[in-house]
Amino acid sequence: MTRRQTNILYRTCWTIALLIAAIPFIFPFLWMVSAGFKSVTEIFGAPTLIPRVWRWQNFVEVFTYQPFARQYFNSLYIALAVTALTLVISSLAGYALARMRFAGAGLLMLFLVSALMVPEEVTIIPNFFLIKWMGLMDTHWPLILLPTFGPHGVMATFLMRQYFLALPKELEDAGKMDGLSRLGVWWRIALPMSRPALAAVAIITFLFSWNLFLEPLIFLSSLDMFTLPLALSNFTDTYGLPLWNLQLAATTLAVVPILIVYLIAQRQIMESFALSGVKG
Amino acid sequence: MAETTLHPETTARRKDAPWLTLKYREMLEAWLFISPTLVGFIIFFLGPLLAIVYYSMTEWNLLTGQATYVGLKNFHNALFINPDFWHVVRNSAIFALGLVPLNMALALTLALALSRPFFGVVFFRTVFFAPVVTSAIAWAIVWKFLLQGEAGVVNQMLAWVGIDGPNWLREPNWAMAAVIVTRVIKMVGLNMILYIAALQAIPRDYEEAARLEGASRWQVFSMVIWPLLAPTTLVIMVITTIGSFKVFDHIYQLTGGGPENGTLVLAYYIYLQGFEFFDVGYASALAMIMFVIVMMLTIVQVFLRRRGLG
Amino acid sequence: MTGLALKSLKKRFGSTEVIRGVDLTIDDGEFVVFVGPSGCGKSTLLRMIAGLEDITSGELFIGDRLMNDVQAAKRGVAMVFQSYALYPHLTVRDNMGFGLKVRKVPLAEREKRVAEAAATLKLDALLHRYPRELSGGQRQRVAIGRAIVGNPDVFLFDEPLSNLDAELRVHMRSEIAALHNRLDTTMIYVTHDQIEAMTLADKIVVLRDGLIEQVGSPRELYERPGNVFVAQFIGSPRMNILPVEAARQLSAGTAVPANAGRVGVRPEHLALSPALTAGLRGKITLSEYTGAVTLTHVETAGGQTLLVVNDGNGDHRIGAEIALTAEGNTLHYFDEHAKRVG
Repeated sequence: MTRRQTNILYRTCWTIALLIAAIPFIFPFLWMVSAGFKSVTEIFGAPTLIPRVWRWQNFVEVFTYQPFARQYFNSLYIALAVTALTLVISSLAGYALARMRFAGAGLLMLFLVSALMVPEEVTIIPNFFLIKWMGLMDTHWPLILLPTFGPHGVMATFLMRQYFLALPKELEDAGKMDGLSRLGVWWRIALPMSRPALAAVAIITFLFSWNLFLEPLIFLSSLDMFTLPLALSNFTDTYGLPLWNLQLAATTLAVVPILIVYLIAQRQIMESFALSGVKG
Repeated sequence: MAETTLHPETTARRKDAPWLTLKYREMLEAWLFISPTLVGFIIFFLGPLLAIVYYSMTEWNLLTGQATYVGLKNFHNALFINPDFWHVVRNSAIFALGLVPLNMALALTLALALSRPFFGVVFFRTVFFAPVVTSAIAWAIVWKFLLQGEAGVVNQMLAWVGIDGPNWLREPNWAMAAVIVTRVIKMVGLNMILYIAALQAIPRDYEEAARLEGASRWQVFSMVIWPLLAPTTLVIMVITTIGSFKVFDHIYQLTGGGPENGTLVLAYYIYLQGFEFFDVGYASALAMIMFVIVMMLTIVQVFLRRRGLG
Repeated sequence: MTGLALKSLKKRFGSTEVIRGVDLTIDDGEFVVFVGPSGCGKSTLLRMIAGLEDITSGELFIGDRLMNDVQAAKRGVAMVFQSYALYPHLTVRDNMGFGLKVRKVPLAEREKRVAEAAATLKLDALLHRYPRELSGGQRQRVAIGRAIVGNPDVFLFDEPLSNLDAELRVHMRSEIAALHNRLDTTMIYVTHDQIEAMTLADKIVVLRDGLIEQVGSPRELYERPGNVFVAQFIGSPRMNILPVEAARQLSAGTAVPANAGRVGVRPEHLALSPALTAGLRGKITLSEYTGAVTLTHVETAGGQTLLVVNDGNGDHRIGAEIALTAEGNTLHYFDEHAKRVG
């Protein structure tokens, strides 16, 4: 065989292997959509990827079984709030850690780094009592405050710091000479030049909040306050058994919009995650 | 001389605040910039972390809500009396030991295949990364559906090729395997992306030089690429290991810790003790133990990195 | 008047002292160049004057105001940075007008001043462009334009030409000199390039390890360097330094000061003669022809290598034995502390 032929063979083998490997990644999504359209009887019959009868009704019942629209909205606005807050707070702190000289900076960094690795499960019990004491049970406040100020917020801070460190310092000096205050330098020079980092923080923070589960599970009790993951988990009958077709229809409604955005911006989204991992 | 337009005032030092030197001004500004993060960090992280030390040494009366100091009783309970604890630690260890190597091997393989541009590379990357952006609950719901006993899609498909699949989520060992594999599929894309970034940062010269000297593909990988990836591998290993200790929503939705506590791992056990059985003292002791484990892993990472750099 | 006075200025980063006590006065309208090897603290000193670094101790006056704790923007100084530091997201016009806008100067006034500065610097045609669309020299001019529009009392330049190629550097050097002639404003200029220092400065400040070695006009520094360091730093190629005994060999009958320990002679002041004549004996080890001048390396009997610069006429083969001579008035004497004598 010539070198060229070996290469083509090699390529083809890899591509076939990748196609096989891709099955368990694509399949769940396809079955999710398909089962979301099926009736209960069809779900437990012989598996077919294309439903024999398209039961659009499932998607109506999703909204009558639970206040699903309200829950959808909850997830959306909480994720937006967490994202906005995180962007402001982490870029302020990240800027100070990157650019300003102050006593205690080293110690502070050490403190924050230690938080990066600690799982939420460790602090969730005292936080439960704290939120209860504050009278914020069954509100959305803990779902906004805990992710913003927890390890995820610290990660965002370090990501911003890393990016600010790589910006040319002379530009900020020029800003100072031009009469900008520190806040002005941050807002009018550092931030406009940090759009990639801000986008990365926004993307991973939005998804982090959107997919958050432990906190809603612990802090929320009324259906109207639920967020999507909690609501999805809640499509069960009185015995706690899943109402498969409704649950999968609701899951489809929750997952597909995110997947569409992901497909449009896949490059940017993957880069954002790469950026957040590299800093570690 | 020319009139000065930039600064009409001529005060040398602010009369109202003579202490406000440039140096102190900068410090003050820095602390103001950091204060939102810092205040939130103290209230929602540092405070709770300290509180857990106290909680772990108390016993809570559910009726009166009063805490009594009991010293190290909760830790003693966990380590020497309650048989569940070691069972849970064993499960967590199995989960980590199963998940981490599988995840990393798959991530590296995919990254090697997808780090160079070729037809379809964007498609494959997008596919392998898609579960990462999906909610863990949604992912677990779908897999729970697919992995049902006889009626499950996976088993029916296995039946076509003549395999009689087990009732995945109802038999302890199979349940653990299922939990691990579905979690790997969910998260492998993240490590794949990190590996791809690392691979693309390796200059092609190294590989070309090695090829010119007659090295085979395997030799290029094992003698050139793999050693250059070592720092990335270390980071990924630690992140993935710690991540495996955090896993909660996946197990909550897929198995609920069952069957027969076969997939009951530490994070889930803490949740059960604290929020289902309301044994706050014991749950706090467990959280402390988890904290120590994670810190030890972090320290090992720092140590390994230092040695790697030195 | 906007002269400057620096009174025992010091700067410490952690435990390292970068500026170790600098005293200096700068007159109104003077062009002062800080020069020295890298790490000597010249840039730090400039940034302390600008207000970008705080002052650890000592006093800084600009005009008659004590500036130690005045913010950079309120000192009436403007700075041209090494990297030009143009805002990438703003056009040339907005870059130049940015400082005025921040200071809330009315739009009409702002436009007028930007237009004036652009006209002086021939930037009119580029006002709508972004920095990335400009050449190095154009960016440099915009950076200068940005400094001009603020009408500062003092201009600060931090190695402004070091990112340009050689030809452009010579050109911009003359533009900066012309700018100083026209504006007649105090300018402080940091460079490590002694040609820039010599050509631009009214006054050169030679710095080493955070201390001033010597202050003087270019001619003073060249003709009467205060110590061995300055003697060797100013002038290219650097001055040859020899044991004092060599002085009488180089120039028969010259008067050597009693406390002199070493003698210095610039390569351009040494003459080569055949070995038969009187002078310092040596052997040619290398001859570098550069066109206008020739550099000859001569190894003395003591094993020291001296540099000689001349027009290259005369047949001096490698290995030839020759004698070196110099005029008595071109010799520099230094004592055992490397200080100038006489």
